[in-house]
Amino acid sequence: MRATRKSKTDAKRLADVCMPGGVPDEARVRRAVTLLLEQKPRGYAAVAQQFLRRVRLQMRRRTAIVESAAPIPDAIRAELVSGLTARYGAGLEFEYVENAGLIGGVRVQVGSDVFDGSVRGRLQQLQAKMNE
Amino acid sequence: MSKLLQEIEAQIAGAELAVKRQNVGIVRESGDGVVKIDGLSDVMLNEMLDFGNGVTGLALNLEETEVGAIILGSGAGIREGQEVRTTGKLLQVPAGKALLGRVVDALGRPLDGKGPVTAEASYPVERVAAGIIARKSVSQPVQTGIMAIDAMIPIGRGQRELIIGDRSTGKTAIGIDTIISQAHLNRAAESAGDKSYRPLYCIYVAIGQKQSSVARVVSVLEEAGAMPYTIVVSATAADSATNQYLAPFAGAAMGEWFMDNNMDALIIYDDLSKHAVAYRQVSLVLKRPSGREAYPGDVFYLHSRLLERSARVSEKFGGGSLTGLPIIETQAGDVSAYIPTNVISITDGQIYLETDLFYQGIRPAVSVGLSVSRVGSAAQIKAMKQVAGRLKGDLAQFRELAAFAQFGSDLDAGTKGKIERGQRIVELFKQPQYKPVPVEMQVAILWTAQNSYLDDVPVERIREFQEKLTDHLSGRKAELLGRIVREKVLGEELAAALKAAVEEFKATWA
Repeated sequence: MRATRKSKTDAKRLADVCMPGGVPDEARVRRAVTLLLEQKPRGYAAVAQQFLRRVRLQMRRRTAIVESAAPIPDAIRAELVSGLTARYGAGLEFEYVENAGLIGGVRVQVGSDVFDGSVRGRLQQLQAKMNE
Repeated sequence: MSKLLQEIEAQIAGAELAVKRQNVGIVRESGDGVVKIDGLSDVMLNEMLDFGNGVTGLALNLEETEVGAIILGSGAGIREGQEVRTTGKLLQVPAGKALLGRVVDALGRPLDGKGPVTAEASYPVERVAAGIIARKSVSQPVQTGIMAIDAMIPIGRGQRELIIGDRSTGKTAIGIDTIISQAHLNRAAESAGDKSYRPLYCIYVAIGQKQSSVARVVSVLEEAGAMPYTIVVSATAADSATNQYLAPFAGAAMGEWFMDNNMDALIIYDDLSKHAVAYRQVSLVLKRPSGREAYPGDVFYLHSRLLERSARVSEKFGGGSLTGLPIIETQAGDVSAYIPTNVISITDGQIYLETDLFYQGIRPAVSVGLSVSRVGSAAQIKAMKQVAGRLKGDLAQFRELAAFAQFGSDLDAGTKGKIERGQRIVELFKQPQYKPVPVEMQVAILWTAQNSYLDDVPVERIREFQEKLTDHLSGRKAELLGRIVREKVLGEELAAALKAAVEEFKATWA
């Protein structure tokens, strides 16, 4: 399914309505998708795909993915939440993932921003420096 | 030993342990050397991107929800879903004298197997050209060693002179001859210990050419001893379109280093037609809107910003110069095609090579009527101006009268004289490849022609006369030639000495 210019513009207009101020309004998003699939306007599948992409990108920007090798104690979680909220503003959603591949430490990703304090990340940095 | 421990302790104490914020994205699509990336919210235009495993990209399209980037080198290992990081650095290439004598790729990496390049500096590939305040007018000549060019279409240091013509009309040969001529002049000044001479370093950028052609150029330059003063930047037809697109900019960055450090450089872009084609390919794959002949709308800006970087700057801003010799290949002599007209309008003149002249044996096949140099005459030495001032007009008259002469044999003496003079000048300007003529010799030969010493020499023997005269002057009258170089003007006394020398030769000529 090819994304035409029109499908991109329509998806953008729909996304602007459903995500005022860049914050996804869940009810509006659901209603928009339902209406789109019910009414099936011309090229609706491409519009739906583009809309989904925009919602996904926006939600990624509002979600902090916290990866750690071991479970994070509540005190540190609270510290992380307050630190990230101070930086990115309120309304951030938190997703905690355990990833033994990190070896140790924590890796936090909010949208495109990554704070990599894991042992694996440090080793990768070291490797890159040695290869320079 | 204790010093070493102290040093290590200090390094550990100074080591940064805090976690730094990185900006990452995810590869969504990859193909034809172009990658679409989600994320990378902080990326800058023309920023280098790190794909890991030593693969680098360049961000060219910043869109609302994605970033379009080109891969520098091979993109074979790039997978969908792979992480990409910003580096905070704009694309840079090594620059400095360490590159002289080397053959490098579009990123300044050596291709000649002579070991790594240890350059003094790194220069950004994309850079805004010197401004109005920093510039100085062109006043020093670039001696190409090609008589037709030095006499009638002179090039100055800091000028942009286009070399344009059909395929195999000798465009590259003019560039190579110019490089060889600079090598001769540089070496002569070095051996004479002449501190006042400013050496002219050369950069040859090969874009989209056959590897065999580049190898031939390099071997010619090596044989002529020109490589120690030359950098060859090669992005051959086997390289990716992205590397072909970047190569001239990388060459310009290397040239700017010389300009900023009070030195003179000459850059040959061989050729910008293929560069435009490579850029069209990159742009189409990046899905940029296409315009005339499917070239993107900014193809004029692509070449104008590249050629604007050639300049002569004042002492306060480095004091050097970068002379640009772009080459454009036309199709069936059509100079009104899109890319040729663009580059003609950007440059300060053009040397137009004609296929017909080439096959008539007039080589270099410079079409005097269509070739022009807009600023170079200010850079010509006075002696050359004295002898070459009327040449272009004489040749134009000759061409007009030669057309008439075909229809009738009854010509008055004046017309006949003009035609005969023209035929001799045309013969004089025939010059073998890789044999640059020094400026003092050019002045002497043209003076001989202007003062009617050639009028009684049969046209078919002009070449022979010229060769013998050259031998005579360089062998027996070296001091006279030296005076022309030093004095740079043909005063009465010098003209008399030249007259005596030519008459002495003429007496022995049969």
